[in-house]
Amino acid sequence: MSEAKMQPFPSTSSRVATPTVDAKGVGYAFDIDTAPKQVLFEIDFVLAPGEFVILTGPSGSGKTTFLTLIGALRALQSGSLKVFGSELAGLGHKGQREIRRKTGFIFQDHNLFEALTAAQTLSLTMELQGVQIDKRAARSRAAALLSMLDMEQYLDTKPHALSVGQKQRIAIARALINNPPLILADEPTAALDSENARLVMGILKHQAESEGTSVLMVTHDSRAFHAANRIVNMIDGRMTA
Amino acid sequence: MRASIELGIRHLLYNRPRLLAMSASVAVGVVIVFVEMGLLLGVLDSQALIATLVRGDLVVMNIARVDLHRWDKIDAIRLAQIAAIPGVARVMPVYMDHVNLRDAQDKRVRRIIVYAFSPDDMPLNVGDPVRVSAALKMSRSFMFDRLSRPIFGDIKPGKSIEIDKFPLLVSGVVTMGVDIVNDGNIVMSAGDWLARSPASKPIMGVIRIAPGADADKVRNEILARLPPDITVLTPNELVERENVSTLETTPIGILFTIGMIAGFMIGTINCYQVLYTEVADNLPQYATLKAMGFSDEFLRTTVLAQAALLSGTGFAVGLTISILADGYLAFVTLLPIKIHLVSASLVCLATIALCILAGWIAIHRVQAADPASLY
Repeated sequence: MSEAKMQPFPSTSSRVATPTVDAKGVGYAFDIDTAPKQVLFEIDFVLAPGEFVILTGPSGSGKTTFLTLIGALRALQSGSLKVFGSELAGLGHKGQREIRRKTGFIFQDHNLFEALTAAQTLSLTMELQGVQIDKRAARSRAAALLSMLDMEQYLDTKPHALSVGQKQRIAIARALINNPPLILADEPTAALDSENARLVMGILKHQAESEGTSVLMVTHDSRAFHAANRIVNMIDGRMTA
Repeated sequence: MRASIELGIRHLLYNRPRLLAMSASVAVGVVIVFVEMGLLLGVLDSQALIATLVRGDLVVMNIARVDLHRWDKIDAIRLAQIAAIPGVARVMPVYMDHVNLRDAQDKRVRRIIVYAFSPDDMPLNVGDPVRVSAALKMSRSFMFDRLSRPIFGDIKPGKSIEIDKFPLLVSGVVTMGVDIVNDGNIVMSAGDWLARSPASKPIMGVIRIAPGADADKVRNEILARLPPDITVLTPNELVERENVSTLETTPIGILFTIGMIAGFMIGTINCYQVLYTEVADNLPQYATLKAMGFSDEFLRTTVLAQAALLSGTGFAVGLTISILADGYLAFVTLLPIKIHLVSASLVCLATIALCILAGWIAIHRVQAADPASLY
């Protein structure tokens, strides 16, 4: 992985210094209309541009719910949550889409379309930028990113021919291809061996340092802890450290 | 929009066996529609057969003969009166009746339709006019319709066959066709027919108008000058009238229409089910697209592109099976069952529309995909 290959995408270095995520008193309950079950309590949290934060804690502590609130995948119920300076409380569908477009999501499952090659998956994701991209340019951009993930030989390969770890790396490339200012990752290294886990963590860390991308990652994988600027623990819906 | 269409098409084309199975589901409806439509049009075409064989500009019949399967005949004097009207070049009587044909092998007697006309006039198009005319001029002979059902035995030119207990020579074959009631036809010359049945009246007269004369004016002149016991129609009007009459006076129209509606419904439901299943199987992928910020419109277009493609492949598979099925039905029933270009185009458009409708309903499943469930 060369440094030159780290810059094939539009730079986001011009981002303003306002926090990427600014949460104040965020609460959330499931089944709020029937049998409310409170899972988040008065969460205060700030994620600065270029900061790499790992969110850890036992299962059911509310980490993932908090992640989905930040990604505008759920509607905020109480408190204030600003992402890229936009208040998510009362945000409409269009506003939610805008937040999501600027966010790189890495899920536990790769959820790749079996019909699409790696290049096609990444090319489709580039459509989110809303500008017409030349096919050749899109392909070379996809190839550059995949080479960083040691996957460039699989540019024209469909998921059925890839291992679980390789599919996960394609999914990670999908989250990075538009050089988003925020990456939300849920156990991205769970399906990877040590070497690939190190590779992925290195890329995320580099993305944060060189591009100013904010990374919030939920993980129990202690191999990943060294990459973070900060580790936050959540227990029973409250941040403890 | 291009990207969403491309995704939908790639996704559907990816698994060919699955695409074939999905197309077959849609094709079931298409086949039902085509078979029902083929049977309906086959029955209509067969009922109006004689009108399509007319070699003339106008047809005159007894006004009481409101469809071609009534036996109200026209007085010969009327044809003579029409022949005297300016603009009329020729009026050619056509006789029609039932006769008994005796199978030389099994000795069984079966009723068959006989048409008789002058071999010099050839008012019906039943084969090469020169060849048919020459064969009909042979005395005490008849020509056998080669499209008759095979219940009449082995009837070939040169054989002697008993018609109403009189041996007649088979002088050749003609090409006409049967309908759901009549199993076959023979053709003989008006001279032979009148020699054995001198009191016969024509079933209709075929009129050829003089060169330069206007058919409408001639028709109006005929109707104005003759008593109101006749009707004058063009061959096309006769076909249309017969089709309307068949649809109005028999239940086949409603029966086949219900069959076609059932076919469309089955196709639509099948299309919805396969699209719904496809969407449900890939719900995490669609939810991921939503999480990434793709709009509902993008997802809608992706599903609709699949629906449109599925309508095309389903129609193609259905059309192929229907051509084979209709060919088999035509072979078995000897009815003129075939797929018309217009009807195929209409079924194609309806298939596309109904698959899009099915896709539109299936879209609700995609829109219900919850991106939060991915974490």
